[in-house]
Parts: sequence; structure tokens; C-alpha cells
Amino acid sequence: MSNLLQQLNGEMAAVVEMTRRSLVKVGNGRNGAGAGVVWQPGGIILTNAHVVRQGSISVTLPNEQKYPAKIIAYDEARDLAALSIEAPGLQPLTVGDSAALQPGELVLALGHPWGVAGAVSAGPVIDVGPAPEMSRPDRIFIQAGLQLRPGHSGGPLVDAQGRLVGINTMITGPEVGLAIPVTVVKEFLIKVI
Amino acid sequence: MSTILQNLSNDLAGIVKSVEPSLVRVDARRRLPATGIVWSADGVIVTAHHVVEREDNLKIGLADGQTVSATLVGRDPTTDLAVLRSEAKGLTPPAWATFDAQGPQVGHLVLALGRPGKSAQATLGIISALGDQWRTPGGSQLDHYVQTDVVMYPGFSGGPLIDAAGQIIGLNTSALLRGISLTVPNPNIRQVVETLLAHGQIKRGYLGISTQPVRLPETLRQQLSQETGLLLAGVEPDSPAEKGGLLLGDTIVAVENEPIRQHDDLLAALSGDRVGQAVSIRVVRGGQLQDLTVTVGERS
Repeated sequence: MSNLLQQLNGEMAAVVEMTRRSLVKVGNGRNGAGAGVVWQPGGIILTNAHVVRQGSISVTLPNEQKYPAKIIAYDEARDLAALSIEAPGLQPLTVGDSAALQPGELVLALGHPWGVAGAVSAGPVIDVGPAPEMSRPDRIFIQAGLQLRPGHSGGPLVDAQGRLVGINTMITGPEVGLAIPVTVVKEFLIKVI
Repeated sequence: MSTILQNLSNDLAGIVKSVEPSLVRVDARRRLPATGIVWSADGVIVTAHHVVEREDNLKIGLADGQTVSATLVGRDPTTDLAVLRSEAKGLTPPAWATFDAQGPQVGHLVLALGRPGKSAQATLGIISALGDQWRTPGGSQLDHYVQTDVVMYPGFSGGPLIDAAGQIIGLNTSALLRGISLTVPNPNIRQVVETLLAHGQIKRGYLGISTQPVRLPETLRQQLSQETGLLLAGVEPDSPAEKGGLLLGDTIVAVENEPIRQHDDLLAALSGDRVGQAVSIRVVRGGQLQDLTVTVGERS
């Protein structure tokens, strides 16, 4: 018997599977690192600036192939970095519209929390705007009711259709995950590339 | 294609949109503002008592972005509810859920909303526990116990818990039981709001005694099937208790045949509807049980 909840679970698993094809590990030659997401078929990988602040940067694809990566853009203020790797068959995620996100909508965050590869957490959008308790009220975040942990940084936040809406970046308060909206990612890419 | 997930997500966002006009910001404390719910179109707002820390210079932030002044109509700490009257007119009251067979069930998905800032915020959870009547630590009897796993973000107190039909189950508070996300159910909100609008305060019964819980003697413990009663350590002159014949040293064991074991039991027995009524109070005096009749006064 397949009830609605089981169908829902099946669909969530499908979104996760699709998103994982674009989810990478970003290493910096030290213990632990972060996540990244394939932005373009040509080979741009997005991640957080704080993930690649130092060390020799590598990207590990879902097929476990590891490639050296070059930082092609870096923005400390936006906490974003773009990497390039020379690897075949990169699968980018469809880019969604973070400006259209509504409170209550469901989103999924993928990453490697505490080193657990490809882990998922899901929750509602709380709000999109400046995060409370942040020193920089001009920074816009997607605030989601889900848990982000070390290793989530740089990974994709996707909407119910599996479209990329944000880059998982940090946690604030008891259980609020903050992601940089793709609108900010686009500003970053236009400005620096 | 993920139709159910997407439809669910859209429905959740749609519910937030539909309730959002009834959601206001309540700026009545020094820290982060909290949330309130539009009670009536003429400007009445219900919120949580514990977020109203001052009684003047109260501000309400409306869904359309306006900020208006408000005054405190009254508050009831025992249910953690407060009622404000704002200067706004033409507000949109929400639809309230009923607690019937189609009402809330354990496992139902629910949304909790807040408006600590300009925009409405949302979170999602499930109903963790539902129970029948229970008594709050302050002594109020609520018709339903509603506990959720919703994370109460800062400023979410005073906001609504919403069912899948977009109707409001009750008002969320993080202060009634610490560490637990509780919802004051709709029927009790109505009672408290209507009482506060009519009288400005919640009627509480008054006897004029001070008491202390004591262990009963063995024979009485068995006879009454209760371990403790309330020893009268003081009886105020001219009080309802004195007029009814209660004496220092009596131990109250029942009011209207309901056992009285501790302070909370007495508080609950002295609810507002008992004011002015003659109630039977059973005491232990000189080792014997004795029934007295006391007309309950009103606490001013």
C-alpha cells in the first residue's frame, strides 16, 4: 500500500538523489572541510569562502574522484568562493528563485555534517531577510528551520523541486540554518567573473 | 516529478500567506518584540502575558507595515494570555479551529507563525501530545493539553499554531511550562479574552486564608484515600472563611467533594465561576471530619 506519506517520502528521496549528483566535498588539505555544489557544466563549483580560506584546495565528486581545484573568485564579505576543476561529466543543479521563497515552504540542505557524506536535513523556510542577532544587518539570508553542522558549509539548499536556492553557510540561534540566497550568488558571480 | 512534495510545500506557504494578515508584532518589552493574533476587526489583539513587560507605550506592528499604539485591556498570568486594544480598525481576524472529531490529532503537521520583525515567519512541526483538561502551574484549568515539537524561535510567543486547514488551534507560549512548546487552546482563549474585555481582569475566588500542606493521620489517609490536606495557618478577619466558620488549625481536605491535597487544588477550586457561590468545605477539626459552607468572595 502506498499512502500519501510514503509517496512524499519517495519524492523527497528522489530530490535528494538528484541533488547529490551535484554535491561535492571540498577539501583544504586539513581535517574536515566542507561541501560545494556544481554551478555550471563547464566546471564551476560554488562553496563558502570560509571553507577555502587556506590550504591546498581539492574537490571530490560524487563518484569519489578527487581533483585539485583552483580558486577563480573569492569574496570574504559574501562568504562565497568559486572554484574550477577539470573534470568530465559535471552535473549542475537547476537554479531556482530564492527571492520567490515564502515562509512555510519546505527546503532541504545537503552536505557532509561531521564528515557524514551527503547527509540531508529538511525544514521550513522561516524567513528570507537579515538574520536576527547578526552583526551585519545588510546581509540577506534564507533562514530555515533545519540543523546545519560543520561540514554543511558550502553545500546546496534546494526547494521542493530540487532547484538550488541557497548555499548553506552557518547556524544561528537554537535551530536556525542560514543559507546565502542564489540571488546573492549571482551578484557575486557577475561582479567577479 | 515531485508533485506531492511540491504541493505540500506550496500549501504550507499558502497557509502562511492566508493567516499572515491576522498576525501582528507586539512591541511591549525591552528585548525582541513578540507576536500577537488579531482577535476582532476593531483592533483587539490577543498575545502572551509574558511578552507584555510594560503597560504603557505599547506598539502593534500590523501586516500592512503600519505601527499603531495599543493599550493593555488585561492579562491572565495563569493562562499566559494578555489582551491589547490597538488603534487599528478594519483588521482581519483569523479562522479558529474547533476541538472535535476533525480537530487536532497527535501526529498532525502544524505551522507556528511569528512576527517579531516586519515580516511573518513560519516554522513547522507535529502535534506531540494531546490531552484532556489540565491545570496550569498558575491554577487555571485548560480544556485541552496541546504540546508540539515546534521550535519556539525568539519572538514566536503569542503567535498562532495552525492546522492543515489554515485554522488556528491556539496560541503558542514558551513560558507556561518551561522547555516545552505548549499551545493555549482556542476555547480557553475565547473565555479569557471575553472575560478580560468585559471586566479587565480574571475573576478569582477568595477565601481569606493562608495554608500549608500537611500529612494527614493514618486513619484519615485510608478513609479519604489522600495523603495530604491544607492546614489553615491564618484566617483573615471578616473574610469569607471566617464568616463560614473556618478556624485556625483546621485542615481542608475537600471543596465540593473534590480532594484538596495542595495549594494548586485549592486555586483550581476557587475559579472565577465560584465567586458568590456557597461551597461545601470539608475540614479535619479535632481529628474529626466536618463539613462547613462558605460563600466564596472575589479576589480584588
